[in-house]
Amino acid sequence: MKPTESKKPEATTKPTPPAREERKPDAQEPETLNYAELDLSIEKVDERIAPSETNVFDK
Amino acid sequence: MTPNSSFPITLVFPPQGHFTQPYLALPCLKAYLRANGFDDVELVDASVDAYDRFLSRDELARAARLVAERLPLARYANRTELSFRELAAFRAAAESAASAEALIARVDDAKAVIRGTRFWDMEQYVPAVRTLYHALRLFSAAHFPTMLTPHNFTMRYSIDRSRDVLAATLDEAENPFVRYFREYVLPGLVARKPRVLGMSVIYGSQLIPAMTLGRMIKRALPDCHVTAGGGYLAYIGQKLMQRPGVEECLDSLIFHEGEAPLLALCNALESGASLADVGALTWIDRSSGAPRAVVNRPGMPIRLDAAPLPDFEGLPLDEYFSPELVLPYDVNRGCYYGECSFCTLPTVIGPGYRTRRAKTIVEHVVQLKERHGARAFDFITDCMPPGMIRELPNELLRRDADIRWWSDARIEAEAYTEEGTRRLYASGCRKLLFGFETATPRLLDMMKKGQTVDETLAVAKHCARAGISVTFYAMVGFPTETRDEARATVDFLVKNANVIREVSLQTFHIDEVAETYQHPERFGLTIVDDPDLDIELYHDYVAETGMTQTEAAELFEEMMSRLCANLPLFSGDNIFYFMQKSHYFLHLARDMQPDEFVARCKERVDRRAKLGADATLAPSRDLRVVELPFSHTETRTKLAHPLARAIQPDFLTGRYVENRVAEAERALGTIAPKRKALAYDGDSAEFAELALDGKRVLEAIAKRGTLGSLLEGQSGASRAALERFGGELHRLGLLHLPHARTTTSTRSPSAAATTTL
Repeated sequence: MKPTESKKPEATTKPTPPAREERKPDAQEPETLNYAELDLSIEKVDERIAPSETNVFDK
Repeated sequence: MTPNSSFPITLVFPPQGHFTQPYLALPCLKAYLRANGFDDVELVDASVDAYDRFLSRDELARAARLVAERLPLARYANRTELSFRELAAFRAAAESAASAEALIARVDDAKAVIRGTRFWDMEQYVPAVRTLYHALRLFSAAHFPTMLTPHNFTMRYSIDRSRDVLAATLDEAENPFVRYFREYVLPGLVARKPRVLGMSVIYGSQLIPAMTLGRMIKRALPDCHVTAGGGYLAYIGQKLMQRPGVEECLDSLIFHEGEAPLLALCNALESGASLADVGALTWIDRSSGAPRAVVNRPGMPIRLDAAPLPDFEGLPLDEYFSPELVLPYDVNRGCYYGECSFCTLPTVIGPGYRTRRAKTIVEHVVQLKERHGARAFDFITDCMPPGMIRELPNELLRRDADIRWWSDARIEAEAYTEEGTRRLYASGCRKLLFGFETATPRLLDMMKKGQTVDETLAVAKHCARAGISVTFYAMVGFPTETRDEARATVDFLVKNANVIREVSLQTFHIDEVAETYQHPERFGLTIVDDPDLDIELYHDYVAETGMTQTEAAELFEEMMSRLCANLPLFSGDNIFYFMQKSHYFLHLARDMQPDEFVARCKERVDRRAKLGADATLAPSRDLRVVELPFSHTETRTKLAHPLARAIQPDFLTGRYVENRVAEAERALGTIAPKRKALAYDGDSAEFAELALDGKRVLEAIAKRGTLGSLLEGQSGASRAALERFGGELHRLGLLHLPHARTTTSTRSPSAAATTTL
């Protein structure tokens, strides 16, 4: 999958408490949310099984 | 010959080696000792035993507690940046926090899948293997920065430096084998009191564990003679034995073939004779003053055809991570060709080429099959000469051996004909691994391979038509090779992916025995020696032409990416079948054709890619999501950069490229805080990183029970976004259809309710 960019400004110093709009899913009932406005990007973690980590030599 | 039970001998295969099948040297040595009067020989596969113990509910629970103490995720909460050096620890902390609970609950069942009939079901096999990989990462995190994987064991200590190796043997916090040996191995040895303890050290990954065990034995059993041999020590052993402190871990080393020297050593120790007459032995003389290493004369190889049947009794044959026992058996030793300029295998086994007769091989195989119920064999050989390629299948067929086997092979165009390969298949051959190396004729000449690209392809096609799966060994970075030449090699492999099912790609390395080290000028090389690396096996070099070492490493990644994209067995998580030694072969051994297996692999990947949103989708009860102060994706992306080699030892060689740490830090910089969430699903054994919005939506799905309950009342762009999110979570294994959820977790529902979504 192609990761999508976060729509939120990235923190540049230490993390701050979530901004009000970031807490929207918490604050609102799921029925009232507009999911199109949320950052629903997902990154898969799979590079750890790179075949470069195998050793088939076994004499 | 009078049996001698008063001289107990224990032979150990130290961690870390492959966990899918036993290693052959110990059964060969045991059989030879028994045939020559030493009948009390114990075999210990400490490698598979350690894996079995570490990959258990109790050990992972202990590891999780240690990680929580040593690498608490909270440590990173208020950090304004993470330096390159901190990334691996952060990653370990984040992944452990997300996955520990599910891994503890599922690890025992994952082993049961691999060892039982569920192995044959891809939908169960892949998550089970993935679970074992993640479980080893959790176990490793408890000993950070140590890494134990199914294929390797590395520590912060360099195996190129004797003082590092010796220090590692004493570092209980980071060397998990100190406690393992003390709790699980030493008590039995102390009770048994062997007179000789021999260790087989084949890989660099075994060096520190072997020296650790040696040190502990020498303390606990001062009268036990601790010796070791094997391929890795054949290279570095003479240097190692000269280093101060080694005498605290070892009494002697045996070089090359072990049978005759080990017997002579036991005879000498039993009779009280001097060790000076034991051929192929380097030993510590403690008779006067400071201990000093004495190098004896070379040994004489045994007559291989007269060597006894390997004796596997005593090995934990049910513990290997395989549903079916695969037994190794050596048909010959050495290489009849012996010309390749990069190859130093004679260093491992000693000079010369010897073979068993086909009749002997088949007699032994039949006996092993009867004794152990094993039908699958891994024929250990550098290559089979053309005569044996004809004789062995004929004899297997004549005896109706009914086995399935695989082996390494050399391109012999006149032997691997259409008829020859059909006969091989009929005799049970299901997979052959050929040294292809490169598609560039100029380089094949420099390598002195004695084969052409056309011949190689013709042999591979004959094998494929006969139903034999073909694996090619390929090399990148041979002296003078250019980037374009390396790309031509991968072009060739991809173009012939319907014939070449697997590729074992290696980067070129120089060891001290190779012609490239002895005569670097012939290859346009300058060897870089670092005197501080006193037991170094592989050397850095500067190339006058062609790729540099760094460029070769970059090309390796590029080539591997193309292979993953184009070889069905390498695509997605099908790669596990290649990575678990013999697991792909076991499917072939059931007479599944390579084409059929490849089609199944493709079908599995395609089916998963088509998964989408469904109202009944729901999280498994072993889904856990943790919030992170930094991006896990950004972390692993930086750690995957070629320069990141600087903080981890090179996989194949175990070497650190130490002078590049600073370069990596400069080039890769730091990462800034970014609040994210890392999810781990116990069913699929998959990680995924979400934005915090995604985490909250996933929590809402869990709270309501299904994706459908959130979709109710949604329309337009909002509904489409939610469906996209649900579909993606489904593809990535974080949401499941009701029938797809497994029930293998051993966690109680009440415990689950308190800690998961």
